[in-house]
Amino acid sequence: MHWLQKLGPQSRNLEAINANFLQMLEDGRHIFDAAANALVGGTDPTVIREDLFKTDQRINQTEQSIRREIVIHGTIHGAGTFPALLVLMSLVKDAERIGDYCKNIYELASLRPPLGTTEEVQELIELKDQISKLIVRARAIYQSQDEDAATNLIQETGELGKVLDAKIEQGVMAQDQNRSGLVLAYRYFKRVSSHTGNIVTSIIMPLDKLDYFDEPGG
Amino acid sequence: MNPSPPASGSDAAPPQANSVLGVLGRVLLVFVLLGGFLVAIQCMGGSIKLMGKGTSESLFQGIANPFAALAVGILATVLVQSSSTTTSMIVALVGSGELEVQQAVPMIMGANIGTTVTNTLVSIGHVRQSAAFRRAFAAATVHDFFNLLCVGLLLPLELMTGFLSKTAIALTDVVAGSSGAEYKSPIKAAVKQGYTAILDLLKSMGLEGTPLAIVVLLVGIGLTFLCLVLITKNMRKLIAGPLEEALNRSLGRSGLIGIGIGILVTIAVQSSSITTSLLVPLCAAGILSLENAFPLMLGANIGTTVTALLASAATDSTAGLTIALVHAFFNLVGTALFYPVRRLRMIPIRLAEGLAERASQNPGWVLAYVGGAFVLIPLLGMWIFEGAG
Repeated sequence: MHWLQKLGPQSRNLEAINANFLQMLEDGRHIFDAAANALVGGTDPTVIREDLFKTDQRINQTEQSIRREIVIHGTIHGAGTFPALLVLMSLVKDAERIGDYCKNIYELASLRPPLGTTEEVQELIELKDQISKLIVRARAIYQSQDEDAATNLIQETGELGKVLDAKIEQGVMAQDQNRSGLVLAYRYFKRVSSHTGNIVTSIIMPLDKLDYFDEPGG
Repeated sequence: MNPSPPASGSDAAPPQANSVLGVLGRVLLVFVLLGGFLVAIQCMGGSIKLMGKGTSESLFQGIANPFAALAVGILATVLVQSSSTTTSMIVALVGSGELEVQQAVPMIMGANIGTTVTNTLVSIGHVRQSAAFRRAFAAATVHDFFNLLCVGLLLPLELMTGFLSKTAIALTDVVAGSSGAEYKSPIKAAVKQGYTAILDLLKSMGLEGTPLAIVVLLVGIGLTFLCLVLITKNMRKLIAGPLEEALNRSLGRSGLIGIGIGILVTIAVQSSSITTSLLVPLCAAGILSLENAFPLMLGANIGTTVTALLASAATDSTAGLTIALVHAFFNLVGTALFYPVRRLRMIPIRLAEGLAERASQNPGWVLAYVGGAFVLIPLLGMWIFEGAG
């Protein structure tokens, strides 16, 4: 952060709100790892259940806390702060959705569905690792506000999304009825990856085009 | 890639030039403005003296009746949208000896009522969203109901027993010597110099007699208003950060903390309206409950009495301090009566919620309430009771 940006009470309070948001992302990474490991990493879902639901609860409470802080910040500092605060409102929703989809992953893992062939399971493991690293990178990029890194990450999540869409379509159209678990896994992974990408669109996209990086400009 | 300025997080907040020098500059400015405020008080008091005894007697004859005086307090505050300005004017008048303490007590109470119209107007901004408006309007009017209940209870009690003014006089005797005596204020000499400079300037323009007195009065009123507005503006910028932290911490916490925060913030910004109007959008958003906002408002009521106490430092006699203390005691006693016991505390809250429920279903209630409580009834009161001593 530039030293000028550290001046002023407004910056200090926004920093506090941002710090809470970064903690949401850290919790999101943690909950994704736990849930995905339960799905494809061999972890017993019952062992991680309590920690996973506590983390999700913490994510939800942090979202509510940030929303309150946003309202107070806007009330005190006035209309000039609204763009930044509106962005934050959108971002905490993305972070909260990551937590929700990770719960879905966990619920899928608890059903212990067949997840396709050995190669497909291995692919899921690699996807798990890739997405976990994406969340970590997104957190770091948001903290540093690095526009080039943001663009790269958005492109990566965009491409990943296309790959997963193709796999979902393949799975849905397959005659093999045991594909439902695999299709859901791809779907949930895709949503986690997309919400992660959405977060860093805030660094390079104007407010009205948040999350719409891949659509033609207008 | 669509290049654009970063829209999120810390980079989106414009850099504030609130460096150490900036903070010191603002603090210095506030002290200068406080000095201007005190000179303005002196101007108001001095102008009445310049008018001559006959003029001032006839001016205040109309408000010899306490209900007329109450109405004048309400109307004056509604007009200037600042209880601090009105109470400062009252302190100036009492301190100059042109208004008796007993005459001024209902006016001071009226100023408490008149100041809440600001919040009501703020709440109207939410009128398109029924639930948010209901919460906002309740938050705005709970302050009104508290003030009305206090006046309804304490004004008759004061008229019968004089307990507020007698207590204030006793404390004035302890703090500053006999009430009504000439007040040897430490800053009075400096304030007097400022007043004399203004007087000499106006005299050099050829003004004298009643025209001079009127111009001095207008200068006093205008300068009071200007200084208070600028003090509020600057202090708000200075304390925005700590205020935000305090509000974040006070959400859902004990009422005493809320009262304390309300007092401190209002003393800092020298405006109860700023403090209480911040609460309306927070209540509208639902993040601050009415029951938790109420102690903050009570604190604002108490904190604003500091302005009158400050103004009394510029008056000629200790009567100015007495009426300022009456203002403080009125708010302290009201808080002590209505806050500690939950059943009593909920009375203004339930009244506000009831009115808000009606207003959210039919916004005509808002017009009726604002027009009635802040304009029609005070005007009627003045007309009916004027001259009835």
